[in-house]
Amino acid sequence: MNRHNPGGEGRAVALPSPVVRERALVRLRDLASPVFFLGPAGLAVVVFFLVPVLLTLWIGLTDMSVATISNIRFVGVENYVRMLTARYTPRILQNTFFYVFTTLGLFNVGMGLAIALLTTHIGERAGTLFRTLWLLPRITPSVIYALLWTWATADAPFGIFNQLLSPLGVTSQNWLSTQPWAIVIAANGFVGASFSMIIFTSAIKAIPQDYIVAAKVDGASTWQIICRITVPMIRWPIMFVTAYQTLSLLTSFEYILLLTDGGPGFYRTEVWALHAFHRALSNYFGNVQFGYGAALAAVLVVIGIIASVAYLRIFRFGQMVAEPKIEVR
Amino acid sequence: MSGKRMLLSAIALVAILGTACGPTPTPAMKEVTLTAWTIGPDEPSYYRRDNLIAAGEALNKELAAEKATVRVKVEATFDTGAWGDFKQKFFLAAQAGTAPDIILSGHEDVAPWSDAGFILDLSDHIKKYWDKTYKDVIPGLWKSVEYKGKRWAIPQDTEARPMYFSKTLLKKLGWSDADIAALPDKIKKGEFTLYDMLTVAKEAQDKGVVAKGYGYWSRPRKGGDFYSVYFAFGGEMQDPATGKLVVGKDALLKHFKFHYDTVFTFKTTPEGFIGKEWKDWHETVSKGDKVLFWNGGTWHWAEWTTKYLAGNEQHLWDNVGFALFPAGEKGKKPVTLSHPLVYMVTKSSKNPELAFRLLTLATTPELNTKHAVNSGHLAILTTQITYPEYAKAKFLQQTAYMPEFAGYQPNHADYGPYDTILWTALSAVMGGETTPEKAVDTVVKDLTAELKDKVVIQ
Repeated sequence: MNRHNPGGEGRAVALPSPVVRERALVRLRDLASPVFFLGPAGLAVVVFFLVPVLLTLWIGLTDMSVATISNIRFVGVENYVRMLTARYTPRILQNTFFYVFTTLGLFNVGMGLAIALLTTHIGERAGTLFRTLWLLPRITPSVIYALLWTWATADAPFGIFNQLLSPLGVTSQNWLSTQPWAIVIAANGFVGASFSMIIFTSAIKAIPQDYIVAAKVDGASTWQIICRITVPMIRWPIMFVTAYQTLSLLTSFEYILLLTDGGPGFYRTEVWALHAFHRALSNYFGNVQFGYGAALAAVLVVIGIIASVAYLRIFRFGQMVAEPKIEVR
Repeated sequence: MSGKRMLLSAIALVAILGTACGPTPTPAMKEVTLTAWTIGPDEPSYYRRDNLIAAGEALNKELAAEKATVRVKVEATFDTGAWGDFKQKFFLAAQAGTAPDIILSGHEDVAPWSDAGFILDLSDHIKKYWDKTYKDVIPGLWKSVEYKGKRWAIPQDTEARPMYFSKTLLKKLGWSDADIAALPDKIKKGEFTLYDMLTVAKEAQDKGVVAKGYGYWSRPRKGGDFYSVYFAFGGEMQDPATGKLVVGKDALLKHFKFHYDTVFTFKTTPEGFIGKEWKDWHETVSKGDKVLFWNGGTWHWAEWTTKYLAGNEQHLWDNVGFALFPAGEKGKKPVTLSHPLVYMVTKSSKNPELAFRLLTLATTPELNTKHAVNSGHLAILTTQITYPEYAKAKFLQQTAYMPEFAGYQPNHADYGPYDTILWTALSAVMGGETTPEKAVDTVVKDLTAELKDKVVIQ
């Protein structure tokens, strides 16, 4: 029964009352803003993230390769079983964690923080100059940057490393072959450190001077100020850089590809993302295995999601993104 | 109407009538663009591109003679980057249907690319032009483009991979000119083996003729050349009867052991050698005054002359010698590895017939000789051998016997994973990460796990 037309006769459909219309309009207006502002970004996420993930998952369940591209078979979880039983899976997984956390700890967070602290404790001009110089690796194209490392680490008489170290009694060697991890991590790290250096520097500069001055008046040393005031007050940026760089390092492999291509030997510097690339997109002689490569990439997506959730919990992101006290319409 | 206006009107009338009553107008000429991707990566091999452009002119002359209404424009590229990147670019384009009409690559790509449907079967076309062109191709080369009973490509060139040696350093070691001159023949007869070579290399190091680790150098990075050692110990890669991939455990062990010994027992190759920059490798070997023995390709001769010796080929003749890759053991044969490059017509081509005719016209003694002489590659046509320019090329003449001893990499869709497994193990052996015995076990397990019944372990 139509409550606006109790009699029911005369009109088949009753018009909504102005109040209902008003409410519907408000509801529509409430909905329109998020759709208008989030719609394009949401669409981008669906097209460029969700669809590729679904495609990757689907390809990972097939035997797609160059040779079978015209006759693709659905193979279920065969690629995942193969991955679990593959002899090098544990080594590649171990390499991945070693690469991510060593680069992160020593450079992307550690060195970035050290540079930020040092350059904010020296004169403004010198600090700015030093940070600008440190940005050079980041603005150098990857291939050129990697080439410079390759040339620098080449064996005698070509590499500058050997030219500098030989007088100190260090045996001349091809450093990329003998110490591949050290070179790969350093090459990645010097670029990664510049990112955190900028974030940490701006965070340190945002700390109200009152705290520092008060601490100095109380007789705190520079080290105590760093440990008790500076670092605790930039814990959110540290947390952000740690989380962001972990995910970034998990999926980045361009410097490894350019420097060692995952070698030498039995996958000594092969990380998961590079292994997926090798299987899915790169092969010296012919056939590449898109299906197996996609399955490897799918595992990386899962690892990334697990790491994200872990970071959200460990670092309590909820506390950082505080609820607004007032609502503005 | 004035006289001037009448004259103009008359001219216009004649012009109109002339147009209407004259001969039938020529149909519009259509220009078809044929695209081709080629690669060196060695820079002197640019005739792989230029010969196609020259053949385009010849094709247009043929089309004009046939009164055809189509003409071709050839847009060909020549890449000097890495093979892996070149192949990746092609198969991504092929998948997207945007591949060029013609692709040049190694013969081993015939198997996976034909299975994928990226390239066209050329068997019938080859038959059609057999008498005119293709019966001149050196018969053994057809094997490299055959797969599943069909011919998928046209040979573009071939080469050998000699063992180079420094005449200068052998002299310093006390060898006479006659000894040095006789070395290629001794190797050819199987009288000088791989381990004889390492022994001489070590002696040269011990006597200070060459620096430690400079006795013998293989290529510095991944590539087919390493399999010369496997072949030298009697190894095979494919069963000719079944077409299956094959690995012989005994030859594989000796292949790994030789590479282990050169680094760790004889110390004639430096530790950490694998991964050395190509540029540094060429700089070191090309003068012939630092390394005693090294393994390279025939095309390197041209590359060293043009890029590292400022065109002074005589320097190489004075200081560098070349021979087959020595036999692994007494009683076995010397070898070399040949890797014919081939032109293929892709399925993306909208004008496959014209693309094929272009390849046919690029297969001539004149054009192939231009490429061979300029880049140090060997003849693919029988008539090239006596072609004046080829006959004058001393280096090509002196290496002409080598293809008789050549082994080929297999045409098999799964050669990629097979090669990766063997290469990974070899680089681990040379890096001191594993022993030759363990590396063989690893290869057998990995090949069995990866390729299952597609590989036969002997």
